Amino acid sequence: MKGEKRSAKAKRYELKSWREFPLMNVSLGTMLHNLTGSWRFIKPIYEDKTPPCQNACPCGNDIEAWIRLLQADKVDRAYLHLKREEPFPSVLGRVCFRFCEDQCNRAGLDESISIRELERYVGDKGLEAGIQPEVPSYHNKSLGVVGSGPSGMSAAYFARLLGFHVTVYEAYDVLGGLLRTGIPHYRLPNRIVEAEFELLKKMGIEFREGIRIGKEIPFERLCQEHDYVFLGPGAHKCRVLGIENEEAGPQIMPGLEFLKKVALGFAPDVGRRVTIVGGGNTAVDAARTALRLGALEVTVIYRRSEAEMPAHPEEVREAREEGVKFRFLASPEKIELRGKDTIELLCTEMELGPIDESGRRKPVKKKGSVFTVHTDTMIVAIGETPSFPPLNELLDYKGGPLDVSEELFVIMPFEGGAKVYAGGDLINIPHTVVHAVASGKRAAVAIDCDRRGANFDEVLSEISIGEGQGLSFSRYVGLGPLNPVRQDPRKVVKKENIVYDYFDKASRVSVPVRKPHERTKDFEPYLGTMDKVQAVSECNRCIHCGRCIECDNCLVFCPDVSILPADTGSFGYVIDYDYCKGCGICFTECPRFAISMVDEEVDVKEV
Amino acid sequence: MRRVIKGNHAVSHGVRLSRVKVISAYPITPQTTIVEELSELCASGALDAKFIKVESEHSALAALVGSATAGVRSFTATSSQGLLLMHEVLHWVCGARLPIVLANVNRAVGAGWNIWADQTDSISQRDTGWIQIYCESNQEVLDSIIMAYKLAERLLTPVMVSYDAFFLSHTSEVVDIPVQEKVDEFLPPYEPPYKIDFSDPRMFGGMIGPEVYYEERYRIYRDMMAAIETYGKICDEFGDAFGRRYMAAEPYMIDDADIVVVTAGTITSVARIAVEEARQKGINLGLMKLRLFRPIPHELWRDLLGDVSKVVVIDRNLISGLGGAFASEIRSALFPLESRPRVYSAIAGLGGRDVTPADVLGIVQQVVREEADVDVPIFWGLKE
Repeated sequence: MKGEKRSAKAKRYELKSWREFPLMNVSLGTMLHNLTGSWRFIKPIYEDKTPPCQNACPCGNDIEAWIRLLQADKVDRAYLHLKREEPFPSVLGRVCFRFCEDQCNRAGLDESISIRELERYVGDKGLEAGIQPEVPSYHNKSLGVVGSGPSGMSAAYFARLLGFHVTVYEAYDVLGGLLRTGIPHYRLPNRIVEAEFELLKKMGIEFREGIRIGKEIPFERLCQEHDYVFLGPGAHKCRVLGIENEEAGPQIMPGLEFLKKVALGFAPDVGRRVTIVGGGNTAVDAARTALRLGALEVTVIYRRSEAEMPAHPEEVREAREEGVKFRFLASPEKIELRGKDTIELLCTEMELGPIDESGRRKPVKKKGSVFTVHTDTMIVAIGETPSFPPLNELLDYKGGPLDVSEELFVIMPFEGGAKVYAGGDLINIPHTVVHAVASGKRAAVAIDCDRRGANFDEVLSEISIGEGQGLSFSRYVGLGPLNPVRQDPRKVVKKENIVYDYFDKASRVSVPVRKPHERTKDFEPYLGTMDKVQAVSECNRCIHCGRCIECDNCLVFCPDVSILPADTGSFGYVIDYDYCKGCGICFTECPRFAISMVDEEVDVKEV
Repeated sequence: MRRVIKGNHAVSHGVRLSRVKVISAYPITPQTTIVEELSELCASGALDAKFIKVESEHSALAALVGSATAGVRSFTATSSQGLLLMHEVLHWVCGARLPIVLANVNRAVGAGWNIWADQTDSISQRDTGWIQIYCESNQEVLDSIIMAYKLAERLLTPVMVSYDAFFLSHTSEVVDIPVQEKVDEFLPPYEPPYKIDFSDPRMFGGMIGPEVYYEERYRIYRDMMAAIETYGKICDEFGDAFGRRYMAAEPYMIDDADIVVVTAGTITSVARIAVEEARQKGINLGLMKLRLFRPIPHELWRDLLGDVSKVVVIDRNLISGLGGAFASEIRSALFPLESRPRVYSAIAGLGGRDVTPADVLGIVQQVVREEADVDVPIFWGLKE
């Protein structure tokens, strides 16, 4: 269909008598002269949109694309595509709370896609093969990163991909921050964190372990040695209950401290009975860790009800399976030590009162409902607050979530020194790994914009995804999407855009899970990883919301034969606008909303 | 291969053996088991055809307008209200010269609801330009489907094969199912003179003005009338190939008959017995079975009926304001004869009511005894 227009084929016929009529009611000549495209007032175009998974991902991970590559058995390309938007798939493939899956349109038919399990599969394959993205040569600007946790490492990774000299300062002797010291090994084994960091080192990121900024190196010196500084120190200061005898003995300890000790190989003897106070992920991790240390009775006490728990429901469910008991609507009042080891914990029953500033119902004491809990170890995990002492004087800062701008910029504290940015648990964002990673990525882009003298807001409007939570690093650096078609990355595909009739029900592929009584015996991971067959069959469930996968449905349904197959090797289809009447059947029948109907004025050649 | 099968399954076998490529149908009692069987044949791969599920009979036939225009052998089946819903498309198929075959299970039309045998449905569509064939047995149903494709494709005219609800559709009889190779020899693949070709798109069913519309309709009439002769030839070819001989209208003990009863569908089998019983009572009764009803084989009807003194037409339909449709058509076919039989009309078996040999005999006796009025149908068995 190249070159000459089809209409050039038309020619005229003249009949002398009706006896020369064709046998059927049919025109004698071709109808190509009739350019029915002139009837059209809106036209179809192929236009990629943002799937809800990508919209929900704080990191803007282009999940649909790497799933498609995986389906085509291109694991290496899938891995690299995944690494375009996030630094360590093997880590997030294990610990992410999968916001993507909550929004997956597949749930409109049966169940969401197991995106995290797929990410783990791709991540591990990439790690095994030692694949890494191409790194550009350095320019003359440098970035100092404080903390090697998820936010710092993400900032380091993306800044390195943007040509910065990057040095990471880590207070501990081991790298990974929370990944290494906060998340128990059964969820994230050390070897994975180490393998991911090996890859980061190979990219040319420099690491300086055992350096606490403000102690071994003054903050001022850091700011003078680098053009930019990114702060990702995390939140390590454990909140206290503020009750009597809270510091009475070593068997009463803060949650994160407890996890850190276990992670670093200094697990305390917890005894038979362990009581954890708190309702967040740290509390649940501490409970499950205590079981693995041999505790027989592990109870989590939380002052609100289960519905208000900040801990991820999946973690709570798994903890229950393993035998962790939950006592809701209870709050410790007083601690007394009985003998050498036993703690007597006096608690009050609570009830839910009016809604407080957190948007949840405030727990209030129920009169005369005191009860006592006997325990060998008490772990207080009621939250951690961030702090970064070097800022205290500079900013009149006393710890807690740090105020930052849209760019995550904090301050330029010393004349001629570095501009300081911050992310992760130090700023006011949800305390999850993926949110921390997203903040590091955002800061890296903001820092690069500053380096280039580009307006961050303008850039943001170009590279924001969907409703604007995540941003596309690919777009920022000019890496093209899988489909060479028009892109509308701000348009999110909703369930009502999907034509579910085209999809057969198929249940989620489940990965092997160790039995609860088995997995509490050690710190080995309890979730298995998919094999290739499982991964592909799970990928095959993907709807590919808003993205053309060349399924031919439009071509089959076009009543005017105006959707034509493109030349071999190029993208899917060509719409013949000479004849397309703009009926919209292709748009209506596209199972996945990859076609849009647009005004005639829109230039279809613009990709 | 001789098998005991129901009339509906005889249709399915006929469709399978005709190597139909597209089937589009909407279920309706008593047609449903035809398409059930066909959908299973398609699903199992025994029949290499596209089975299209649709939301109405109108769409069922409209879909076939597409497939037949695309140049493939196409089939649908329906009954009663379903056939009526197809009305508009029935006309279109005729004008578009699409050789579609439709199996219609003759069922009464509502209101009130009645799912039993009655020919009013197909009779009401007799002017839509479809060739109409009525069947007496399951064997005839199967054979008629195969012959229908040959006829339709030779003349580019659609064919409707009708047979009685339940008396055939759901009744098992011995049917000789031909082998595929022999059917392939008899019925070659469909080669349409025109079909949709993406590289050379034509306009199908386009507008034709007053200057040619008349001629186009004349041509349709002319080709439909040619079906009388063509059908005879095809019946002969079929007889040679399979040993079963059919005619456009079939006589039974007519040569020496003074009075002839005319029937279509399953009443024919009953009438055969009545003929024998009448002869034992001294009435020289004969029988003419109607098969081809559109086009009307005037010559054959006149040859078979012209010499007898009385003809009784039993209609399993009642056209309000007219009477029996078959009687009316027989009368007008015989009218040009210089001397012609008196034609009586009888109405029997409406809405599935049973018609026995005694009923047929009773009708005939009323005529013999000169108790019947030529102007008013005999409403046989009308309850007090």
